[in-house]
Amino acid sequence: MSRRIATLAVLALLCAVPLVVRDDYYLHLFIVSGIFVVAVLGLDLIVGYVGQLSLAHAAFFAMGAYTSALLFVRLQWSMWLGLPAAALAVGFAAFVLGGVILRTRGHRFIIITVVFAELMKLVATNWVDMTRGFMGLPGLALPKLSLPGLGSLDITAKSHFYYVVLLAAIVAFLLCRALVRSSIGRKFVLVRENEPLAESLGISAFRYAMIAFVAGAALAGAAGSLYAHYVGFVSPDLFNFSYVTIMLIMVILGGKGTLVGPALGAVLFTFLPELLREASHWRMITFATILIVATLFMPKGIVYPLVAYLVPRRWRLSDAHAA
Amino acid sequence: MSASLTILAQHLLNGVLIGCAYALIAMGLTMIFGVMNIANFAHGEFYMLGGFVAFYLVSLMGLNYFAALPVAVAAVVALAIILQHAIFRRLREAPMMTTTLVTIGLSIFLEHVALLLWGPQPQSIPTPFPTKPLSFFGVYTTPLYLFCMAVTAALIVVGHVVIRRTRMGKAMRATFQNKEASALVGIRIDRIYAYAFAFGAALAAAAGAVLGGFIPVEPATGGIVTLKAFIVVILGGMGSFVGAIVGGLMLGLAEALGAGYMPTGWKDAIGFFAVILVLLFRPEGLFKRV
Repeated sequence: MSRRIATLAVLALLCAVPLVVRDDYYLHLFIVSGIFVVAVLGLDLIVGYVGQLSLAHAAFFAMGAYTSALLFVRLQWSMWLGLPAAALAVGFAAFVLGGVILRTRGHRFIIITVVFAELMKLVATNWVDMTRGFMGLPGLALPKLSLPGLGSLDITAKSHFYYVVLLAAIVAFLLCRALVRSSIGRKFVLVRENEPLAESLGISAFRYAMIAFVAGAALAGAAGSLYAHYVGFVSPDLFNFSYVTIMLIMVILGGKGTLVGPALGAVLFTFLPELLREASHWRMITFATILIVATLFMPKGIVYPLVAYLVPRRWRLSDAHAA
Repeated sequence: MSASLTILAQHLLNGVLIGCAYALIAMGLTMIFGVMNIANFAHGEFYMLGGFVAFYLVSLMGLNYFAALPVAVAAVVALAIILQHAIFRRLREAPMMTTTLVTIGLSIFLEHVALLLWGPQPQSIPTPFPTKPLSFFGVYTTPLYLFCMAVTAALIVVGHVVIRRTRMGKAMRATFQNKEASALVGIRIDRIYAYAFAFGAALAAAAGAVLGGFIPVEPATGGIVTLKAFIVVILGGMGSFVGAIVGGLMLGLAEALGAGYMPTGWKDAIGFFAVILVLLFRPEGLFKRV
């Protein structure tokens, strides 16, 4: 009972954000964090639950953004079609890539994911006829939301688009929760904790790593689509390595192998760099230091242990299998 | 020689230097990988720092070019020793995800420190060589290019001799193959860790200092260099020194040919495709572990 009340209270708070936050800039940060929540939950599936470090996740995000943008610019597909198309396309790309590289886990896997990300960046930069190269694809618009019988709703205002992103984040969270609580999710954790044991029980590590990899990539693709339509512009800069670093920081400091941790980490590490904007030169140095120190000394992250300490168990929304 | 052959020879010559540099960097990366079981994502940063320190010494402090090169390498090795004591020592026996995340963090850290110190603009190290090109049978080169090529080639030989012929190299290779057995016969693993790390950093810094007169160095260079070195290591077979040398030269030559005959912008894709092909058809790399 108390858990249900806590859930409703959190939801009410989230819904009230645009009513309380009137400043466009802060609303923008809430929207961006919501988009990151979707992407980072996907990264957590492969990094946190299956325990394979993928550095291709920001590339999946960027590929989703490009897919959606190209469909909009070339074929006039609105975001409502572009978003599922981006998720499917990126999921399929991850399936093909995973088929090649998930058989060689370990160091090789990590390195090939970076190589893949760089290759995708090269394609976005050099396939000028399709992607316009460095110039990027401008002019993306947000769609109208027409509800039968209710007329059409304008979601181009930040305070309206916020709800679209909020809904996406909640759906992503619920999907991931359903996945990690299912028997598939328990096999993820078994593969992470003891791969030989999993294999000896007839559980194919390759197969479950693949499921997490594809599902995570699809979420990144969907997040990329939201981002492209929200910002209205995509360029090869989206493939920069700094994005995957920031996503990893969100997962690791949030608490890999939990869902609440990385989701809160996504919000925290969207706001924090913006608040540190004055010292932009020092920002990446600070981040790098945080990443090194946290990895060495706080393997469970910061956010989730803090939540676990502060919030009574009966109020919590989810989470077992902390890494 | 016919014109097309001359052009081919020109492209190949252009590839040799960069190939030698790849080989040097990949040898150190392989050593660190084999001995410490760490995929060092900060390795390219040693190359970048080697170039920047040499630039700083020559350009801003007015040091003689030939003196600046070894001093730059020594400075980077000193930094590597500090890093080894502060960070890498703690990564022994750590899970792969930990070691990789830490080296990624370190790579970003070093890149942005370089950005703070030297700014984002690419810098060329001024050299005392005449810029007048030399011509052999219609193939053009410069004295600086020949000097760089000679130094990198010599360093590859030195690195190879250290690994193959010295007691230290033997101890490193032993640790590489079997840590417990090496410790058992009295090899001090801690020390081997430190030596392997310093050795790798020295080779990368030397490559950076030498090539810095030829290819401008900027803070972001490190990331690309790391990636190329990893490609070489996977192509050559993870843990094979001969593979690192041959793989480095092959990648350098292939890229030079790609730059010559393919549309601009795609030359970097060659290595990426080669890695994926190797992974599909010969996952252990072109050379078996030595």
